[in-house]
Amino acid sequence: VSLPAPLDRRFEAFVFDWDGTAVPDREADATDVRRRLEALCALGAEVAVVSGTNVVNVDGQLGARPSGPGRLYLCLNRGSEVFRVDADGPRLVYRRAATPAEDAVLTSAAEAAARRLAERGLRTEIVSARLNRRKIDLIPEPGWSDPPKARIAELLEAVEGRLVAAGLQGLREAAAIATEAAAEAGLAGASVTSDAKHLEIGLTDKSDSARWAFGELWRRGIAASLTLVAGDEMGPLGELPGSDSLLLVPEGNGSTAVSVGREPEGVPAGVIALTGGPTAFLALLDDQLERRRRREPPGLPEIPGWSLAVDGLDPELERAHETLLTLSDGVIGTTGSPLGRHPAATPGVVAIGVYEGEGADTALAPLPVWSELPFRLAPDARLRRALDLRTGILREELAQADGSLEALRFSSLARPGTATLRVVGNRSLLGRTRPSWEAAPTALVAENRTERDGRVALDRIAAYAPGVGAESARLKLEAARRDGYEALLAEHRATWAGRWENADVVVEGDPRLQNDIRFALFHLIGSVPDRGEAAVGARGLTGSGYRGHVFWDADVFVLPFFAATHPQSARAMLEYRLRRLGPARAAAKAGGRAGARFPWESAASGDDVTPQSARALTGQVMPVRTGLEEEHIVADVAWAAACYEAWTGDEAFARGPGRELLVETARYWASRVEVDGEGRGHIRGVIGPDEYHEHVDDNAFTNVMARWNLRRAAAAARREPTGVSQEEIDSWLRTAETLVDGYDPASGLYEQFAGFFELEPLVIADIAPHRPVSAEVLLGHERLHAAQVVKQADVLMLHHLVPDEVAEGSLEANLAFYEPRTAHGSSLSPGIHSALLARAERLEEAVEWLRLASRIDLDDLTATTASGLHVAAMGSVWHALAFGFAGLRPRGDVLELDPRLPPSWDALELRVAFRGSRVRLRVEPDAVTIVAEPAVRVALSGGEPVLAPPEGVRLAGV
Amino acid sequence: VVLAAVDNSAAARAVLATAAAVADVMHAGVEAVHVRNDGDRTVTAAARAAGIPLRELEDPIPQSLVREVERRDISVLVVGARAVPVARHPAGHVALALITTLRRPLVVVPPEVRLPLRLRRALVPLDGTKATAAALDEVVELVCGSSVEVIVLHVFDETCLPRFADQPQYELDAWAREFLARYSRAGLKLEVRAGVPGEHVLQVAEAVDADLIVLGWAQDLSPGRARVVRAVLSRSRVPVLLVPCLSR
Repeated sequence: VSLPAPLDRRFEAFVFDWDGTAVPDREADATDVRRRLEALCALGAEVAVVSGTNVVNVDGQLGARPSGPGRLYLCLNRGSEVFRVDADGPRLVYRRAATPAEDAVLTSAAEAAARRLAERGLRTEIVSARLNRRKIDLIPEPGWSDPPKARIAELLEAVEGRLVAAGLQGLREAAAIATEAAAEAGLAGASVTSDAKHLEIGLTDKSDSARWAFGELWRRGIAASLTLVAGDEMGPLGELPGSDSLLLVPEGNGSTAVSVGREPEGVPAGVIALTGGPTAFLALLDDQLERRRRREPPGLPEIPGWSLAVDGLDPELERAHETLLTLSDGVIGTTGSPLGRHPAATPGVVAIGVYEGEGADTALAPLPVWSELPFRLAPDARLRRALDLRTGILREELAQADGSLEALRFSSLARPGTATLRVVGNRSLLGRTRPSWEAAPTALVAENRTERDGRVALDRIAAYAPGVGAESARLKLEAARRDGYEALLAEHRATWAGRWENADVVVEGDPRLQNDIRFALFHLIGSVPDRGEAAVGARGLTGSGYRGHVFWDADVFVLPFFAATHPQSARAMLEYRLRRLGPARAAAKAGGRAGARFPWESAASGDDVTPQSARALTGQVMPVRTGLEEEHIVADVAWAAACYEAWTGDEAFARGPGRELLVETARYWASRVEVDGEGRGHIRGVIGPDEYHEHVDDNAFTNVMARWNLRRAAAAARREPTGVSQEEIDSWLRTAETLVDGYDPASGLYEQFAGFFELEPLVIADIAPHRPVSAEVLLGHERLHAAQVVKQADVLMLHHLVPDEVAEGSLEANLAFYEPRTAHGSSLSPGIHSALLARAERLEEAVEWLRLASRIDLDDLTATTASGLHVAAMGSVWHALAFGFAGLRPRGDVLELDPRLPPSWDALELRVAFRGSRVRLRVEPDAVTIVAEPAVRVALSGGEPVLAPPEGVRLAGV
Repeated sequence: VVLAAVDNSAAARAVLATAAAVADVMHAGVEAVHVRNDGDRTVTAAARAAGIPLRELEDPIPQSLVREVERRDISVLVVGARAVPVARHPAGHVALALITTLRRPLVVVPPEVRLPLRLRRALVPLDGTKATAAALDEVVELVCGSSVEVIVLHVFDETCLPRFADQPQYELDAWAREFLARYSRAGLKLEVRAGVPGEHVLQVAEAVDADLIVLGWAQDLSPGRARVVRAVLSRSRVPVLLVPCLSR
């Protein structure tokens, strides 16, 4: 079959009309269709059959019983019902049920229409036993009781003749009469259509079927551009739109539409007129089956707002580019290096929590790379790599003198640690691959290879079970091979789409920022597993930078995104800390303290792995004191536990392991605070988030976080007092009360640490050529230590993390003082300042800092993106959107929001999980809409809580 | 061939020794030329002592030298910066004319060079631009292939300040690895400094005991340009290899 160019590719889904498109009529034998649809589903395709009739008719005729991995849906009854069909038969998954009142209105609308037509001299009959609709038979004559589709032109002629004989202008006028009658009967927005024989007045129509199908496909990770829509009545019929033109809904924009019908009046623009009826349709299906059987890689949509593409290979930027294109699944991360070898490329695989080395040298272990192919990339190669952020799939197209290839790879989010590559290309490029190999004892690779006419089709599956064992890797690989490529692809795509359903953030009015935000969320999602423990290093799974060590980045910057979108992952991050309580207790004891002291840098063991010295960018060798003094990490871990509790309401955690984290960290602070002769508590010799100043006393951030930690632990211990005496609780509260925090009510300022205001008053915003700037390079270490120059939010971090612990209304004054004195030399700084500026209603600045935070890696602003992405900065992007612009705060069982919508944005939309409810918030200039399933209580801008139900609530007054 | 252009001055011996050392690294031959306009006793003796054949060129210089270099397709020209350490100008008019006109690598030898000279360590300052990296690429490759150790230097100044430095214990490693991959060779030793580049080039050259400094430049000595080259030429105590950044 010679197909028009738009059809000469593999489609991932098929949405088509039944009667006239797939089968000649409702009596025809559908065996040929059934076989093909079952085979397509077995090869991973998703199929939606659309028909106006009911399930008995369609399923009775089709009789398909597919067993997956692709799904078969029957979208029936003119858009009112959807059935999913599997090996056990059809199962209702959606029904639009008319209320009795709607039914009554439908009947009166049909009667009114029939009456008006009768008044014009046209006898009709009402067929009423239809779900959500009434049919008016325009030609109730025995010869036309059930005309086959093949006689559509004759039928149309007969009906038009009958109408004209009655003095009507034709079908169009009859439909207009029915529409008017329906409106008068109280059915505004009724769907009035015609299949030539009938006029149908309904609550739904085929467009509802199409909308449902495209919505479902989107939720399964299949974009409209990968979908083929087929019908036989796309063109107008008697001046009315063809019934199958209703399949061309806006949700399906980008899909490929084809008509196999006769289409006497032509097809709408953009629809391919194939003609040939069901025979042509079956030929289309055969072609699609053949493409799958010969392992044609699926297409990959490049949807605006959802993609990142790199054309060519720039040796200077390649390592940064391949890091941006990293595929992570929560367990392993693989750089998006080209498949062929190139000297500028550095392909790499790392696994979460899999380290090698001892002490400060402990580093993420480089694992064998599964994705390389045995050829060299030519200097003049035409290469394109495109990453679909929505489904975590990387497509590569290559053409060079000795051959070409197309490849698709992904690291399965559905079964983390399993990665696949499908590649089709010339033998010259794919000539010497190995059928199976052991990449390491815990990483196995298997290939399935066929060759025809010099073109090789290769499926490679890799299974990693690092830290688990060789047997586990073998079982993983066997399971993946048994299920096959198409099943792996379908489940991976659907899992990603599912994650986005609960985590997407939409910014309308700034397309570039929108894409950058999704890029950040994409890499966050890939960096954290959702079971076991998660040691989330500073670069996630995107590189070996920072040796994969775990900092406060994980607890404070990354975890909140997961607590609010995928709590299992946040729980896994906390599990990592919980399993290292032992070493943390030992560290506290070794320092003469009680409780648990978590290390500034942590890896496998939970012991501190912070190096003791470093050569800075100035070339100077410096002692590194963070491991000794950056103690706020202790409270940060406690804060992470509280954050998880606040979003999830996980009582078992709160009363068990969460309480243990709070109690042990509080015990540390209780033993750490020194109370002076005047009864004031001090924490001396620490480093706050502003690491430009070391060994300071009474760092406001550390003291206030410790105070919060003590109070929070006291509250938890009161609820669940086992193992904590009332005396100890009281002592925590007393200690908390004594702690100084540097707040001056007169100025409204917190002093960052004792003596900060006495330092050289430098305003870095005035003296630096630009910000962010690494101030130690600009000014030198010694000058910096003695100046009021701040690396990142320190005092202000309190306003961000524990706003209830700082003086009410103190944000603005402290922001006005500290922000101009902040160099933003930490990649964590811009996102947090964006959040704070949004809270302070300095929205233009907030947007600028957000833009910068979201481009840190995309523009390689650190010149270190090659060693991994700054996942905590990506977390801070979400902080800015959720906590800053949306003003989200969980408080008990109420989700508070207090939005600040920048004038340059049309809307901001967030999806979060709050206490078991899936919440979708949409902020527009004049109102907020909240949809929650199940319903939750929400409070807007300090107002009284209201219930946000599944059908949504719209609150005015943003 | 490495060509030493010598005059009849106290610098002749250093220039010849440098030319021999460079030729040794390049596995090239070495020759010397001289324009007789100020006698030849010192230069002849020096060439004889170094075992380097010496030829005479016709006046005028530097035109005769330029012609010679182009006619013979000389790989590297080696010239003296100035006649004596106490000269009033950092580089004589012949040296200045040659470095701004010759479109090929040229070694400028200060009279203070310690002899005997053997090239063991070369300092290659890189400003993080593609132009400089491209200019020095061949030289670095050549030197890397010899027994000479290459130390790359980058000096942050106000025109190229890093924007972020999260944790100093990791930042430099990550930054340096990528800097070398982009602008030089992976695995080389990298020194970084912050401040005035010319000053740091001289200080680091001394600190690491470099016996050659390699600089890429645009051959533009107009006011405000080539500050590093000026500073290094005026105060370096080791030979300076200048490589023109040719637009490609």
